[in-house]
Amino acid sequence: MKDKTLNNFKLGIFVLAGLLFLIVLLYMIGKNRNMFGFNYVIKARFENVQGLKTGNNVRFAGIDIGTVSNISMINDTIMEVEMSIDHKVKNIIRTNAIASIGTDGLVGNKVVNIISLKKSAPLAKNNDILNTKKPIDTDEMLRTFYKTNNDISIIAQQLKITMAKINDSNKLWEVINNKDFANNLKSSANQIKNASSHLNELTTQANNIVKEVNEGKGTLGLILKDTAFSKSISNSMKSINNIAIKANELSVQLKEIMEEINHDIKNGDGIANKILKDSQIVNKINNALTNIENGTNGFNQNMEALKHNFLFRGYFKKLEKQNAKKQ
Amino acid sequence: MKLEENITLPVIAINNLSKSFGSNIVLKDFNLNLYKKQNLVVLGKSGSGKSVLIKCIIGLLKPDKGSIEVFDKNLPDLNDLELDKIRAKVGFLFQSNALYDSMTVRENLEFPLRRHWIKHNQGEVEQLVTEALNDVGLLHTIEMMPSELSGGMRKRIALARTLILKPDIILYDEPTTGLDPITGKEIIKLMIDIKKKYGTAALIISHDMNCVKMAADKIVILYEGKCYAEGTYNELTENNDPNVKQFFE
Amino acid sequence: MSQAILLKSFFEETGKTFRFILRFLLQWFKPRYEVAEFFRQCYVIGYKSLPLIGLTGFIMGLVLTMQLRPTMIEYGVESQIPIIVAISIVREIGPVITALIFAGKIGSSIGAELGSMKVTEQIDAMEVSGTNPFKYLVVSRVMATTLMLPILALLSDAISLYGAYLGVNIKGDTSFTLFWTQIFDSLSFNDVLPAFIKTYFFGFAVGIIGCYKGYNSNKGTEGVGKSANSAVVLSSILIFILDLLAVQITDLLGFN
Repeated sequence: MKDKTLNNFKLGIFVLAGLLFLIVLLYMIGKNRNMFGFNYVIKARFENVQGLKTGNNVRFAGIDIGTVSNISMINDTIMEVEMSIDHKVKNIIRTNAIASIGTDGLVGNKVVNIISLKKSAPLAKNNDILNTKKPIDTDEMLRTFYKTNNDISIIAQQLKITMAKINDSNKLWEVINNKDFANNLKSSANQIKNASSHLNELTTQANNIVKEVNEGKGTLGLILKDTAFSKSISNSMKSINNIAIKANELSVQLKEIMEEINHDIKNGDGIANKILKDSQIVNKINNALTNIENGTNGFNQNMEALKHNFLFRGYFKKLEKQNAKKQ
Repeated sequence: MKLEENITLPVIAINNLSKSFGSNIVLKDFNLNLYKKQNLVVLGKSGSGKSVLIKCIIGLLKPDKGSIEVFDKNLPDLNDLELDKIRAKVGFLFQSNALYDSMTVRENLEFPLRRHWIKHNQGEVEQLVTEALNDVGLLHTIEMMPSELSGGMRKRIALARTLILKPDIILYDEPTTGLDPITGKEIIKLMIDIKKKYGTAALIISHDMNCVKMAADKIVILYEGKCYAEGTYNELTENNDPNVKQFFE
Repeated sequence: MSQAILLKSFFEETGKTFRFILRFLLQWFKPRYEVAEFFRQCYVIGYKSLPLIGLTGFIMGLVLTMQLRPTMIEYGVESQIPIIVAISIVREIGPVITALIFAGKIGSSIGAELGSMKVTEQIDAMEVSGTNPFKYLVVSRVMATTLMLPILALLSDAISLYGAYLGVNIKGDTSFTLFWTQIFDSLSFNDVLPAFIKTYFFGFAVGIIGCYKGYNSNKGTEGVGKSANSAVVLSSILIFILDLLAVQITDLLGFN
């Protein structure tokens, strides 16, 4: 009899232990699925739920706050997702929060991410509908990702080679360590800047002149009749042309230099040389600018001469009068 | 030979009992009467249907035809509950003892007591178990398991289990089979003692002539499914029918 | 010709088995209820099987983890080992291994016990002792196996998972809390409940087959051995068939 009681006692423990494990297992799963405790429902409408299923997690700032409790079709383009949300976050989620469907990891389960906006809005209540963002299509993403990945791998390879070359180049390190380099670079950049502003001015002036020539109306015929004048015009045009050509050359040179720099950066050698080139550039640019200036001066002189030419004197005077009248 | 047997009603009356298994006819229009305080031996060869007969009487097998009246109740007509009531008054000693291997001797003896819807308190149960074990002289084995006992002891324990319900009829299915002659004799003695003490009627199935000679008040020879001959031991020894004579040689 | 006989005997056996199941169902809810015997069988069948099933479960969890490890590392998902192990244990390995061990231990013992009871007329003795042996022996045992196997499978799951935890920590380092959090996060009701429910059927199959084979044992000790053996073989096969059915049904119902 005593034996029997003991057996029943053991049996009881055995059965309870088994059931306890079941209950703990179910409770823990249920807890993760928000089956127990107080919840409230918020909704979101999507065009495509991307295989989201009932029971998938809902995340707010990366924290699981609930699960998808129901997915229903409103019409042929709108799917409504109901989410059962832990009441603890009731004071956090606002009506302007945005829901989007994402993936847990790259190939994991689908999740609904709720993102809050910084603007304030009333708190979301039961059965409120949140705004949605078009979910990222994983397939598309993967396709893009694949392409990007390929590109990146090529770039990475090149970068690797470049880096290796840079690392191997003692000269470069010398250069990098050299403070003068930076200063030189800075001053050359300044000079380039100055040069280009000069160029700009120049172009404007040239432009004005051409304009004035154009506005000369009937004068042009006169000018063209006078061979001497036309000769001098022709000269000045040539000068302008030269200037333009020089300017063009300058920019070609600039381009070349830039290409060389690029090339050097790519190949990682000759950078020290480039510094030398750099001062050459500046010289070249300066020369070019001087040339342009000279050219312009010549042009101006031509124009002045034109003004004083007896043929045009009347015309210019008339022009001055008109100007005075206007004023 | 008791003289009063003819004036009392039989406790077991079998009329026109037929039983067959498939095409094998075991019993055919068999008749038998067992009276109070009578030791009836059914004698027959192996496979002559003795065991089938005794199992029909206890209700383990259902007859195809005929009636088996035990205490004036026809067994085939009874439901389970009524059958159990009859069974409580009929003891059955199995050929293989049928002691429950998983239980001690005490539990074996208590089993029919507890199972038969008869209310006993713990003291009564204890007393009945002790008494039954005393009857077979094996009180010291009360806490043993059947596997620890010898064949003869097991037979006696089985007998004690049969006796514990104080039955009016005991059915013995080859009680001496598988035992040495000396132990067999002890068992037969025990059977006779029990009959004297409790005044039970007994239906004994056997082909052991020692048993027949010692215990039988009346002998029935079962041959080809029928009651071939009947009489006392002395009457049958003088019968010249070869089918009868073969048992007594 | 012999094939036809074989086929015939197969169908005959199937028919008899279903008749036996029907008999069980009919007897099951009718009084008298063998409550004490049921509890005794629960103790013998359930509690006494725990050490064996615990041991096999523990080894299974440990070995599975260690076997999975190289492959998982190859795929770079070493951290997912607990999840994969947990899902495979809870969904499949726990219930099926437990049921198979259970069939080996309990199916054979029921087959042999009832077989020898049949052969030595103990079943008949019960019947004449005012007991319905079918209720006393079969119903109590089948009920016990049906109700105990799920408990055993649950405990085996728990022990297996603990084995897996140790397996993870042989070569890696995962805290107990992280391990269980990972497991509970990855498991869903769809993993646990169908697996839990199918163990009832496994238990029923082991019990009913063991009882059927024992109850219909042939005379002689050879018959007892045969019934014990065929009880194990048949119930093991049935476990796999039921497992197949279970996965198809859960799939059909959308719980997979």
